[in-house]
Amino acid sequence: MLVVTRKRNEAIIIGDGIEVRVLRHGRDGVRLGITAPTHVAVHRQEIYDMIRAANATAASGPAAVQDLVQRLRDRIPQP
Amino acid sequence: MKAVVSTKTSNGSAATTPAGEQDAQIIEFPAGLPGFEGCRRFILVVSDELKPLAYLRSLDPPEPSFLTVDPLIIDPQYDLTLREFERARLGAAANEPLVWLSIVTILNGTATANLRAPVVLNPRRMVGCQFIRDDRDYSVDFPLGKA
Repeated sequence: MLVVTRKRNEAIIIGDGIEVRVLRHGRDGVRLGITAPTHVAVHRQEIYDMIRAANATAASGPAAVQDLVQRLRDRIPQP
Repeated sequence: MKAVVSTKTSNGSAATTPAGEQDAQIIEFPAGLPGFEGCRRFILVVSDELKPLAYLRSLDPPEPSFLTVDPLIIDPQYDLTLREFERARLGAAANEPLVWLSIVTILNGTATANLRAPVVLNPRRMVGCQFIRDDRDYSVDFPLGKA
């Protein structure tokens, strides 16, 4: 792991056009400003991990869903 | 079971194009899905017996299948706005009709929907992405009751 020390308003550049800047730091945490190309997704790690876990659970095998199907159909307004 | 490409628009009108499952149109997910980053090619499989649920199935290993549903059925007020960079990732012009899907999880006979990270498809370009909505406080496991 690369470890660098940055002061307020100093930044690091990662690869092609990703900039991470320290905006503020204090007892409550470090506030970062991230500039990245649109094809690069930036997420808080715990949120990304939560979605990854949700996807892994959702992807497990086929399930019997007839009750759910009927209840969803009941929700759709009839024309 | 038939595979179709749904071109349902956000204002509720729907048109589907039936196709044989073998030649179902492939939807590209350039970033895969979180946890399935290597899954780039998907097809959307709908069937009369599962409507309004549809399967989003990957053609890439481990070939995961996801049950999905239109989030507007779950929450008629569901916010269908994308941020500009999200729209750019789908190559979508402003007001371009997009298909929104919430992934449904069945766990111990109970169903939940992931409203926090919807899958959005651009049917014109056959490209899709799962977006994480940091801007809205939607549930990752919104209860749908018994499966």
